[in-house]
Amino acid sequence: MIIDMHVSAAFIEGEDLNEKQLQYCQKQTGLYKTEELEVEYLKTLTRVSKVDKLCLLPLDLKTIHKGNLGSNEKVAKLVENNPDFFIGFASVDPHREDAVEILEEAFEKLKLSGLKLHPSHQKFYPNDEYMDKIYEVCLKYNKPIIFHSGMSPRPQVLTKYSHPLQFEEVAAKYPNLRICLSHFGWPWVKEVCMLMLKYKNVYTDTSFLYFDNPKEIYHQFFEVEIGPHWIDRSLRHQVMFASDEPRLEQHRMIAAIRNMDWRESTKKMILGENAIAFLQGGTTYD
Amino acid sequence: MTKYEEITFSTDIYNILVPIGKEVAEVVNHSGINSGVAYIITKHTTTGITVNEKLECLEDDILENLGSIFPEDETYYHARFLKSYGAMAGNPTGHLKAMVTGNHAVFPVVNGKIALGKAQEIYLAEFDGPQNRTVMISILGE
Repeated sequence: MIIDMHVSAAFIEGEDLNEKQLQYCQKQTGLYKTEELEVEYLKTLTRVSKVDKLCLLPLDLKTIHKGNLGSNEKVAKLVENNPDFFIGFASVDPHREDAVEILEEAFEKLKLSGLKLHPSHQKFYPNDEYMDKIYEVCLKYNKPIIFHSGMSPRPQVLTKYSHPLQFEEVAAKYPNLRICLSHFGWPWVKEVCMLMLKYKNVYTDTSFLYFDNPKEIYHQFFEVEIGPHWIDRSLRHQVMFASDEPRLEQHRMIAAIRNMDWRESTKKMILGENAIAFLQGGTTYD
Repeated sequence: MTKYEEITFSTDIYNILVPIGKEVAEVVNHSGINSGVAYIITKHTTTGITVNEKLECLEDDILENLGSIFPEDETYYHARFLKSYGAMAGNPTGHLKAMVTGNHAVFPVVNGKIALGKAQEIYLAEFDGPQNRTVMISILGE
């Protein structure tokens, strides 16, 4: 089972994706030339990439940006119509007064598999006290969180909220809460390695490609910036394949991951097994 | 008289030659133009329009040789983040291959039909699939 753990729900076809919403998504994400994506197109793309499932991530921006990049209801509908193809996450704007209710409904009624949060876009620090109630809902329902971490190319968002070190208190305070610091916290890849070494509830994903091509940037960050054996020997249970479609390039990125100089069992974990462990919980490894 | 029509194709492979002669012929047939010229033009910069014999051996040879001229592993300038797209420019080989095939083909229209040679097939050459691709057909004549 090959799983891409980071695909934006914003541009995928759905009842709410009219011209106004499309323009909103383009403006908020900075993906100015991205158009509506049909589910059939995504299925073709994943056939080319030899990927089995996509994890859809919406984003609730109600209080600050007056909208969303895909709603929980939209994601739930996509999963309902394509249960063998999509895994659906929820999102909630933590500044909403009804954040807890929204999240409980997403897990209980919509049966979504986890929570996506974007500290830079939603403007909060992960260790803000009011976030505790959100984390406790996730613990109650045994649902993991995917946090945006590191730089975001989105306009009007600041990186400071999503620096990997901002997540240490959350990892330490909630050892049973599985959190993914997505994009490998790029460019703070070494800091994310430190956090994963210390906290086994911290995961990351491979969705960063902001310079060069996938082969070159993975070589630079996985074999030069950090020790070439760090992932293969010490962190292989905590890294998940992800592409950040439609911003990046699923089929070229997965080809580069498949060609990394890691043992085959490590690649198997990164391409799917770790995602299942992250979603379901279970054994942690020494 | 001028007639203009667009046809959309959904490609399902990264690099592929898609035969489109039949679809183009249908557009010409119902254009109402008896004598003139048909332009078949791609709307994209990582696809081409090319003409060749429709044989699987030739299709493979064409794609393999273009791949040898522009290998995926080469270092290209066009491998960088484009702020105007908010996305990566990761398709340099597609742009370069499209430059070789060119963006269009031209054929005479004779007695209301496109005049293709017996061995000729018109191809939409996909170099950055899978994607939805649009081919423009412009027919000038009387």
